[in-house]
Amino acid sequence: MIIDSHTHADEAPGFGWFDPPETIIRLLDEAQIEQAIVMTYRDAPGPEEGVIEYIAEAVQRYPDRLIGYARMNPRYGDEAVELFDRAIRDYKMKGLKLHPVSYVMHPASEPTLALIRHAASLGAPILFHCGDEEFTLPLQIAEAAAAVPDATIILGHMGGYFHVRDAIRVAKRFPNIVLETSAMPYPRMLKEAVDALGAERILFASDGPGCDPTLEVEKVRRAGLSPDQEELLFRGNIHRILGGVIH
Amino acid sequence: MLIDAHAHVGDSLFGVRQSVEDLLASMAEHDIVQAVLVPLRPSGYHLEPENDRIAAAVQAHPDRFAGFARVDPWQGEAALRELRRALDNLGLIGLYLHPFEEQFAANDEIVFPFVDLLRDRGLPLLLAGGYPVFSHPSQIGDLARQFPDVTIIATHGGQINISGLLLADATRMLRANPNVIMETSGIYREDFIEDTVNELGADRVVFGSNAPYMDQGFEAARIRLAHLDEATKDAIGGQNIRRLCRLPAPSPT
Repeated sequence: MIIDSHTHADEAPGFGWFDPPETIIRLLDEAQIEQAIVMTYRDAPGPEEGVIEYIAEAVQRYPDRLIGYARMNPRYGDEAVELFDRAIRDYKMKGLKLHPVSYVMHPASEPTLALIRHAASLGAPILFHCGDEEFTLPLQIAEAAAAVPDATIILGHMGGYFHVRDAIRVAKRFPNIVLETSAMPYPRMLKEAVDALGAERILFASDGPGCDPTLEVEKVRRAGLSPDQEELLFRGNIHRILGGVIH
Repeated sequence: MLIDAHAHVGDSLFGVRQSVEDLLASMAEHDIVQAVLVPLRPSGYHLEPENDRIAAAVQAHPDRFAGFARVDPWQGEAALRELRRALDNLGLIGLYLHPFEEQFAANDEIVFPFVDLLRDRGLPLLLAGGYPVFSHPSQIGDLARQFPDVTIIATHGGQINISGLLLADATRMLRANPNVIMETSGIYREDFIEDTVNELGADRVVFGSNAPYMDQGFEAARIRLAHLDEATKDAIGGQNIRRLCRLPAPSPT
């Protein structure tokens, strides 16, 4: 069984985005992936209403396939924390997604830490976009992991193209950091990360539908891991992490 | 059946290596019938022995390989002499430039004499594309605009950004410059390959692996799994680069 720890559904004509839940469901079917964590491209709160409800409805439509994360904009302060709280308690979402490029704020800024602290108090993981852009570098996000040691911080894309070794380094230093495999182009770096950190610290994800879930599965299969290690990446680790969420 | 438009042999300063034998074994495993070979940056400063290495591999396996020369434009007149030697004496059939590893902007004037020579010979440029500061898609476009009759193959789709922040730049660059072809190694994202083929045509995309920096088998899967019809996958998987480089039909393995 495979759980994909990072996919998207959203319909935002103003941005030119049209990826209804059916798009990712079709790609998951192709890849024989049973379940996926799904999130919007838009942040909440934001200029448009209904972002959190969009994911809630997608999960309601495919309750056996989709698990929701709330993608938030920390600049909204208490309003963001309260909306995130409702996403977990009322809509039974399982985690927090942050993409600091979309709201242009340091990942360890005080408003971001307030959201992270609240997620940690609910046992909900925090998935950061973690690539090569400002405000998303592993060493920058590590400051947030250091500030809130009881938060589970997931580095989505595990450092992108140029910062994979930095992602491994900060995960070695901070035990609350977990790496996530999507879009990162080097199969051999998955093996390097597993050898350095243990397979318990790595999650499989695709970043579909832009990235192809079938190809992302192929990347893990080509990394030279043992069947037990693959099982942890594909299912065991995220299952364990999401088991700690308090609604 | 695939043809790899971008594979390296040699020992890289940056810690990767690939022998001709390793590459041939990988190609056999992944049903890749031919490859365009380009030099790695060696631990020494000199690229001449690397061009010799590529030429020797092509001579040993003429039905499997073609080769591009690599020079460092910062070496000026000496590098231009080396490019002439590689094309005239070694039988290499294009130029590979790596702005990131050799630290020059893709659109810097120091590059122009080399592209002039390619234009005179009707040969293509393989350009390491999308690297921060040195080969941003807009810099590739600025070079391509000034050499409209030189085919420029931009690796990584001409953009490297895992947020998708350069997809718009790369698409604009490809639209504005019909002489640019994008190569697919390590590309973000799969739908960028599909969208480019659908908007600009299958002849604007070629498969390349960037092995051994990247994984040849995984990069081959990127093409095989694309949501495109078989004829399109044949074109981007091999027919385009075969036509562009006038590669011979391979003998049966």
